[in-house]
Amino acid sequence: MRLNTPTDSTGLGALRHLRTVVPLAALLLCLVPSSAHSQGPSAAREIHVLAAADLQSALPALADAFQHATGIKLVASYASSATLATQLLNGDPADLFLAADFSYPEKIVAANLADTASPIPYARGTLVLFARKDSPLQPINQNTLLDPRVQSIAMADPMHAPYGVAAQRALFSMKLDEKLKPHLVIAQNVAQAAQFVESGNAQLGFISLTLASSEHMQQIGTYLRIQPDTYPPLNQFAVVMKNSAHRADAHAFLDWLLSPPIQHNLRNYGLDPVR
Amino acid sequence: MDTQALGLTLRLALSTTVLLLLLALPLARWIAAGSGPLRAMAQAVVALPLVLPPTVLGFYLLVALGPLTAPGRLIIRLLGHPLAFSFSGLLVGSVLYSLPFAVQPLVSGFRAIDPALLEAAATLGASPLRAFGTITLPLAKPSILTAAVLTFTHTVGEFGVVLMLGGNIPGATRTLSIALYDQVQDFDYTAANRTAATLLAFSLLTLVAIYWRRSERRSLLA
Repeated sequence: MRLNTPTDSTGLGALRHLRTVVPLAALLLCLVPSSAHSQGPSAAREIHVLAAADLQSALPALADAFQHATGIKLVASYASSATLATQLLNGDPADLFLAADFSYPEKIVAANLADTASPIPYARGTLVLFARKDSPLQPINQNTLLDPRVQSIAMADPMHAPYGVAAQRALFSMKLDEKLKPHLVIAQNVAQAAQFVESGNAQLGFISLTLASSEHMQQIGTYLRIQPDTYPPLNQFAVVMKNSAHRADAHAFLDWLLSPPIQHNLRNYGLDPVR
Repeated sequence: MDTQALGLTLRLALSTTVLLLLLALPLARWIAAGSGPLRAMAQAVVALPLVLPPTVLGFYLLVALGPLTAPGRLIIRLLGHPLAFSFSGLLVGSVLYSLPFAVQPLVSGFRAIDPALLEAAATLGASPLRAFGTITLPLAKPSILTAAVLTFTHTVGEFGVVLMLGGNIPGATRTLSIALYDQVQDFDYTAANRTAATLLAFSLLTLVAIYWRRSERRSLLA
């Protein structure tokens, strides 16, 4: 959430009531969070990142490492790629968009809001089927989806989450889409799908390997990789926003993310390198 | 326009209104009948959904009443499925979330009734239940109507609880507010416009009807 200082409180009327306005303005200034969009040489360097929900478990650690290396801090917000694209198309002042597919960053490019001619690939994701360890469906395998005891399977919404699209296509390839349709529970994004199965409300969940690799999810459950040939590759792309005041820092992060040692390390977070 | 979502929203709002009035009438009657810490506590609990974000309710319904807890397992045994991702789950959420909108108008309505009328009824041998049916309810009719309309419209406008608990299932948990959210996410602004305009017109008309009735009544009394 960001607070904006009102800009029209200094009209003619305000001049006449300077004595009341000045303390009021000072009060309002105190309310503005100092971290939001701080600029100038002395301020800490920060970039605001809109990140696809599958990065919710991976990005904090990557951001820490990047800040350690460069002093630049990442402030991230997570949602489905479509949600984030909608925000950006409607004027969200973020600096960098890390999407979970190509189509949504491409929309930013098409709207002439990106500073490159095409989105930049930074990682490849993997779709997994997750179940809690205490689930009667354990041990999960290729045939678990056919188990008659399956009543609810969480997945991200294919309408606005790339991992939802992947899950939908995988079900279609496995010819299970019609059969399992009544049991599908649609989450807003892949992180909510993970939450649905984590809380036990859904028995199974199509989630990202990134989320399934988080320490907590590894403790409470197990996962099965979905056959990669059943869904289109989850190539994840990024764009730097053209109007960002921190374009150089945003590119510095992307370059760092694409550097061989970091790409090599991505597997620890459930992502495959693109370089 | 997602007619299935519209139908579901109206069904949810109607079920919530009926169920909530059945709960709120005796509760409001009890609250209005006296004072004391117990009643203050009840009123505070009833008012909680006004101040709490709907996500608090969504969280408790999803996790505290989920399959990992004893009360959650009891619910699964009773319903055959968890509260989450079901119409009954949304109904429970909506009843709790709209509680103040039903109870508060009823409490003020009941308190406005002259106790002398009820005493007179008792003197004439009417049982408390009969007095409630023949005196309290007819006199509180405007408040009951307000409670019903507010509950109905508030349920139509519900979003946060449904988003956390619903699972976006067409015909079961995809209400109009969720359909609108999806349409915006999907860049389908034409459909979003239709849904938003429907919700806007519906809410405005309902509120106009309420205020109009109120002003009519006031001018009749004057």
